[in-house]
Amino acid sequence: METSNRELQAAEYLERHRIKELVSYLTSALLFFRPEKPREYLISLLERLRIAKVTGVAFPFFMDNSNIVAMFEMMDSSGRGTISFVQYKEALKTLGLCTEDGDLKDDGHIITLDKFKEEVNKRMKEICEKTKGKDSESYQTAAGLLLLH
Amino acid sequence: MDSTTAPHRIPPEMPQYGEENHIFELMQNMLEQLLIHQPEDPIPFMIQHLHKDNDNVPRIVILGPPASGKTTIAMWLCKHLNSSLLTLENLVLNEFSFTATKARRLYLQRKTIPSVLLVQLIQERLAEEDCIKRGWILDGIPETREQALRIQTLGITPRHVIVLSAPDTVLIERNLGKRIDPQTGEIYHTTFDWPPESEIQNHLMVPEDISELETAQKLLEYHRNIIRVIPSYPKILKVISADQPCVDVFYQALTYVQSNHRTNAPFTPRVLLLGPVGSGKSLQAALLAQKYRLVNVCCGQLLKEAVADRTTFGELVRPFFEKEMAVPDSLLMKVLSQRLNQQDCIQKGWVLHGVPRDLDQAHLLNSLGYNPNRVFFLNVPFDSIMERLTLRRIDPVTGERYHLMYKPPATMEIQARLLQNPKDAEEQVKLKVDLFYRNSADLEQLYGSAITVNGDQDPYTVFEYIESGIINPLPKKIP
Repeated sequence: METSNRELQAAEYLERHRIKELVSYLTSALLFFRPEKPREYLISLLERLRIAKVTGVAFPFFMDNSNIVAMFEMMDSSGRGTISFVQYKEALKTLGLCTEDGDLKDDGHIITLDKFKEEVNKRMKEICEKTKGKDSESYQTAAGLLLLH
Repeated sequence: MDSTTAPHRIPPEMPQYGEENHIFELMQNMLEQLLIHQPEDPIPFMIQHLHKDNDNVPRIVILGPPASGKTTIAMWLCKHLNSSLLTLENLVLNEFSFTATKARRLYLQRKTIPSVLLVQLIQERLAEEDCIKRGWILDGIPETREQALRIQTLGITPRHVIVLSAPDTVLIERNLGKRIDPQTGEIYHTTFDWPPESEIQNHLMVPEDISELETAQKLLEYHRNIIRVIPSYPKILKVISADQPCVDVFYQALTYVQSNHRTNAPFTPRVLLLGPVGSGKSLQAALLAQKYRLVNVCCGQLLKEAVADRTTFGELVRPFFEKEMAVPDSLLMKVLSQRLNQQDCIQKGWVLHGVPRDLDQAHLLNSLGYNPNRVFFLNVPFDSIMERLTLRRIDPVTGERYHLMYKPPATMEIQARLLQNPKDAEEQVKLKVDLFYRNSADLEQLYGSAITVNGDQDPYTVFEYIESGIINPLPKKIP
């Protein structure tokens, strides 16, 4: 069945405002914290996001170094101290720090823990800069980072 | 972070929480509204939507030919559900809107108003507080496909659409007896719905256009239009025959409107079957397990398996078996938890039968966190139970099980050597049934949303009832 114009329009709207990521984040937060009153909790989350966008205050980042190390260790199952390029790219995508068609170059070097930490921190700083702006995409990425409590 | 080989172990609290609070439906509604209105700023829009909290209010459209009783049904539903009624008349007579004043002039001249104006009026009215908070019922709108499409483009979607239908001859005849009470606007009928109070009887008016010819013309118009409106509401439409007493139509409409449509929400069935011995619980559980690949957990079976396998629990249970005493609740719960905590039960869902026998066991089950999301009571009258159980026999030579009425043995020779299990003797059965009924009242109170099924039918009919109870969302009870 060919996708009609309205369908394409709707898909484009979702893409533009990154609604899928937002809804995914909200649902995960709900299922993880399981608040007594889901609606109120959702409203509070959305309010925080809205205020973060308006005031340009950087969102509290919950990822610190220990999380990055833990993530690296999970991927590096054999304990060699390095991960493959594919794993590295996937990890950055999961963190929301890299888009699908990524701008990562496989320079043939293996990815060590330090390089991983460096890259994650670098990208997070970029997003920090972006959240000070007023585009709607910026707080979606910030929200994406909140996934890693 | 990369796709690991071990499967995800999602803690069971998450899907339970999701089911109880209808998280999927909540998110789905929010996303639907987002896509319909496509606001430039999604987050404030979502906040507003969540504040409205009107996902479950009635949004009903009632359509039907003239004289089918639409207005009567709509009014009764309104009173019952405490929603707002919207008809062409009261939209046009609305004093608080400019559009209505414009429309009123046209209406008084020609009795109809252009679709554009009508849809504008509807949009205004539906944005008002009472419609948002308590829901709305549209009576006789949309009449044409054009109106239906316009309403749809504005994003106004009903959740239930009821179409009344009756043969034309019945309607023409019925229309001749129509009378209206000028004060309340309620419609009465000379034969079917005559008001009891004589004062109302006295000032009933005959409406203008009810002659046979006029009704026939209106019916023609209606049939031409309705056939194009119906495809706009594919899954939410229900046709109710208007050729029955008003009260019957009303009850059918009410049950339909109070039922939820099936959603795509992920759902792991955790079914509890309760009923006296011989009501068919094991059979239904086996059928369910086979068709839906649930895990069949029969308490008695679990205990016997534990004893036979000589597990640690089995050794504890054995003395009770040997002395033919009931196993104590704590031990029972331990064996159950061991089974229900296994990965296949958590992932696939389970069918439990044989427990709980009384309120204490039920509370213990709850405290352990095994809350069923569907509970069924299988009701079978005592005589049927006796018939089903006391006629069971077993052939000691082949091990084959027979039933003297439902599955008799092939030859007289086999019948001569059949034996009966002492547990199936009349007195034993009576004792067990009494035990169940003593505790059933408490259990029924505890499991308020349980569904009662008549177990006195053939197994496949009972299975169909149970299936529909599991698949359809639980009906919400309006106080």
